[in-house]
Amino acid sequence: MATHEAALLRHEHAVHAPAATGVWSWITTVDHKRIGILYGVTALTFFAVGGIEALIIRLQLARPNSTVVSAETFNALFTMHGTTMVFLAIMPFGSAFFNYMLPLMIGARDVAFPRLNALSYWIFLLGGLFINASFLVGAPPDGGWFGYTSLTLRQYSPGPNIDFWLLGLQILGASSVMAGVNFIATILNMRAPGLTLMRMPVFVWMSLVVQFLIVLAFPPITIGLVFLMFDRFFGTHFYDVAAGGNVLLWQHLFWIFGHPEVYILILPAFGIVSEVLPTFARKPLFGAPVVIYSGILIGFFGFGVWAHHMFAAGMGPVADAAFSIGTMLIAIPTGVKIFNWLATLWGGSIRPTVAFHYAAGLVALFTVGGLSGIMHSSPPVDLQQTDTYFVVAHFHYVLIGGSLFGLLAGAYYWWPKITGRFLDERLGRVQFWLLVAGFNLTFFPQHYLGAIGMPRRIYTYGPGRGWEFWNLMSTVGAFGIGLSVLLFLVNAARSLRHGALAPADPWDGRTLEWRTSSPPPVHNFDAIPPVYGRDTFWREKHGDSRGRKPTPLPPRPDPHGIHMPAPSFWPLVTALGIVITAAGALTHLAVVVLGAVVVLVGGWAFALEHHRNPAHVDQVGNLGVDHRKLAMWTFLGSECFFFGTMIATYLAYKGHDKVGPHPHEILNIPLTTISTFDLLMSSLLMVLALHAVQRGDRRQARMWLFGTAFFGLIFLGFQAWEFTAFVHEGLTLQQNLFGSTFFVLTGFHGGHVALGVAMLLTLGILDLRGKLAVQDAPRVEVVGLYWHFVDVVWIVIFTVVYLIP
Amino acid sequence: MNRLPTQPLGLCLRAALVVAAAVLASGCAFDGPMSTLVARSDLNRSILSVYRIITWATVIIGLLVFVILAVVLLRFRERPGLVAHQIHGHTALEIAWTIAPALVLLIIAIPTIQVIFRTQTAAAPQNALEVRVRGWQWWWEFRYPSLDVVTANEAHVPVGQPIVFVMEGPDVIHSFWVPQLGGKRDVVPGRLNRITLTPEHPGEYWGQCAEFCGASHANMQLRVVVDEPAAFDRWVAAQKAPAPEPSGDGAAGKEIYARSACVGCHTIRGVSAGVLGPDLTHFGSRTLFGAGLWPTTADNVAAWVKDPPALKPGAKMPNLHLSDADSKAVAAYLVGLK
Repeated sequence: MATHEAALLRHEHAVHAPAATGVWSWITTVDHKRIGILYGVTALTFFAVGGIEALIIRLQLARPNSTVVSAETFNALFTMHGTTMVFLAIMPFGSAFFNYMLPLMIGARDVAFPRLNALSYWIFLLGGLFINASFLVGAPPDGGWFGYTSLTLRQYSPGPNIDFWLLGLQILGASSVMAGVNFIATILNMRAPGLTLMRMPVFVWMSLVVQFLIVLAFPPITIGLVFLMFDRFFGTHFYDVAAGGNVLLWQHLFWIFGHPEVYILILPAFGIVSEVLPTFARKPLFGAPVVIYSGILIGFFGFGVWAHHMFAAGMGPVADAAFSIGTMLIAIPTGVKIFNWLATLWGGSIRPTVAFHYAAGLVALFTVGGLSGIMHSSPPVDLQQTDTYFVVAHFHYVLIGGSLFGLLAGAYYWWPKITGRFLDERLGRVQFWLLVAGFNLTFFPQHYLGAIGMPRRIYTYGPGRGWEFWNLMSTVGAFGIGLSVLLFLVNAARSLRHGALAPADPWDGRTLEWRTSSPPPVHNFDAIPPVYGRDTFWREKHGDSRGRKPTPLPPRPDPHGIHMPAPSFWPLVTALGIVITAAGALTHLAVVVLGAVVVLVGGWAFALEHHRNPAHVDQVGNLGVDHRKLAMWTFLGSECFFFGTMIATYLAYKGHDKVGPHPHEILNIPLTTISTFDLLMSSLLMVLALHAVQRGDRRQARMWLFGTAFFGLIFLGFQAWEFTAFVHEGLTLQQNLFGSTFFVLTGFHGGHVALGVAMLLTLGILDLRGKLAVQDAPRVEVVGLYWHFVDVVWIVIFTVVYLIP
Repeated sequence: MNRLPTQPLGLCLRAALVVAAAVLASGCAFDGPMSTLVARSDLNRSILSVYRIITWATVIIGLLVFVILAVVLLRFRERPGLVAHQIHGHTALEIAWTIAPALVLLIIAIPTIQVIFRTQTAAAPQNALEVRVRGWQWWWEFRYPSLDVVTANEAHVPVGQPIVFVMEGPDVIHSFWVPQLGGKRDVVPGRLNRITLTPEHPGEYWGQCAEFCGASHANMQLRVVVDEPAAFDRWVAAQKAPAPEPSGDGAAGKEIYARSACVGCHTIRGVSAGVLGPDLTHFGSRTLFGAGLWPTTADNVAAWVKDPPALKPGAKMPNLHLSDADSKAVAAYLVGLK
């Protein structure tokens, strides 16, 4: 106990001491601002890598029959360009702002789970390095960022290229989901007093929508990648046509993720623009609630339109029509946003800073990308445009003209807050116009190239098709973009050394982050500022629409003092373990085991290092629930999509087997009924355990915790026995579709049970050591939530797999 | 503060002028051999009827947004005496710009749905000619079940008759696309996809695989030759004829062919019956080979036979280490297979 208090005292000191420096302080940092900077620097680095890949692509395509690179290299370059820009550049560039800005904008001292935040970053960094390590061993992924089967199956892509890609994407997905859960808990539960949901800045709102999209959209692609991994490593048949599998399954799983991913990439930019335009027009955002609702609608519709990426796959007229209409509907909330931004500027007094240039540039250029998107929402038109350079032009207008311009607006806007210095406005304008010119010269002609028939992903083309001139121009433009990015880096480097010093509120801002110093102190605010409406800060400075200035409410000091989280290196250790495991999959089983051990040790140390830290006890936030419970509920929402996808696959493949054994010949319903009953009873014991902990009855708590774990182990024993019996009767992973789907589905469930047992045993051991008191009940409750969820999933699996004939 | 060009509108206008001048200078033609905007079949006419409506609708909306943005940026620039009005919203206005796009979308949606159902569900007419399309890494096979004809990379069809292209995928996903005849359709293993269209003008139409399919995706091209009916009948008769007997160099080539690994993959009726590579029975009658890459001349074919993977990345046809003389003989034989 004494050490904990000493540690706490140290934190209290840390608050007013200068921030720690040195490499180790960055490696162990859990400060959201530092993690935000790490995300930003890493994203820019990967952005440069992806940009160099793009320039080589453009060099190759500048002339017909060019031989700058080989076909194989070209295919790897466009695969890695797409993968890098989506997962390693634009997404983490957004994360940089989520990390740095969200806590400041909602008046919080950090995110809900600072160490989890660090873990997300390290997994992202190491996952990105893992995928790119493929270049070093001469096996870069070359199946496209979309990795369509059957091309990506072992038969057609025998090397480790695709393995790097599918393992890397799973790692990155884990990082994104962790960050998503963390930010959802932060935004919903850690807002300043008075900051109701509808008073939140639009950037916070768009970030919240993005986190929900991440948490719900990553499970389907994770399952898709798991299936691909099993097909490639263990000979299952998920995408094996000869065994009755369906290659379109991959496309569905990929695009159920892939389309929300588009909004994951664009909505942060929309949020930034919704902050930048009002600030520099000196007007409130026009129709803020409508902008918020339209963002929510875009996210919601985003889940229902994935198959518009598959019009050419031959889904039939009804599906084509339905997905076409759904896609067109998304244009409505998107158009509403554009008009609201224009109305925000109307009647304003516009200060054309570089940040404003980029925000206005987004309004113009994203409109082009949005409108070309409407063109291919019509399947007949799409059948001529899809897989041509018209689509390349379209999504670069969305991702550069939209996402990148928005993110650069954010960079120029928030740079003074983050660094305490201004970027040079003059150089910034040159950089802006160079980017506008280079970008339009690169991509506008690609609309034309697509219309006259140039397909995507071709490493070369012959003369005589009319493609030569504009391809050359496009390449010239691409180097303009490259030069502009270089200028940005120059501007950033110069600013860090010689930039003019920025005050706390350099732009006459409207939101909370401008109330604290530039850069903010470690604890963000000396006292959390209260909020009583949208644009509180602006109204305090300038009055409302009738010029009335509200009296600022006095900030409320923290009742328990300021507790900042202590640094930790366990996030990095855990992340290393994950990447070692992935590397083992490509080298040797022993390495996999080593990685798993590191993950386990890291995870345990991570979970227990701050046990009993008083800062971790009271975590009830705005929603009236504990952060940890909120996070667990969010995670379980993600898990629903995870298991839902697998169960849906099982149902879709049911009865498609080419060979036996079939389910009815082999499933042992009486035996499984007993194990099901056992698992259900364990839920009852879990309830008893929680009640005992809440009462402070240690003897009972111990009994029920170990009892629950024991019942879980019994269930796992039944499962082991069942699997063994099935293998003896000829049902293996490789036997048929039933074997593949059955073992993967029930195996993943068994894995979840095993994880639950591990958590229960940990709690039990804590109790034995006298470290599970009444105030630790939320921990038990969170584990209990997980345990009940896993039981409920089993009821669904039992019904679907065993009971429905 | 600085004197750099900060007039977005002025710069945009100048940029637009430069682009327009460049377009005029380069002769931005829309009628290239792969152009999607040239309709040479009923299918592409239907597609372009929707394409036209959507293009106009989106161009008009785009211009509207650009004009409003330009006006706003010029009119509401910060200057002495300009006060920003603190307006939070306007319900009627916002409802208006929610409904207006919905109406525009209706204009787009109605013809879209009509064309989807017109082009996709109509059962193939009685007199339709079925062409089975198989996409292989990296070439096209065309089978005519009703005519008992097999060819590769160069399909002939008669003008004015409905054609049903039925896609079968033997390996990975490809996409069959002949832009002037209509939109693309994926060739998906385990599925039968189809496109029905009636070619309306005789001519030679270029096509290319449109779904990334591996190393030589770019080298998977094709031609569809639309013939007058009489010419088509002559082509069918020629294709059904047995392979012509070679003479001179060609005779030696046939011998080399027959005792080499060639026979494992290729069919030449009466000589070999392989199924993994293109049917070569009338190889010489095709104007191009290698999936639309090179004119079928003796020199080109000899170079190909000598070392296929050197000419076409990833080619499944291995280097058989034939001597120069042997390659030339085989080429002479193949080119003679008219």
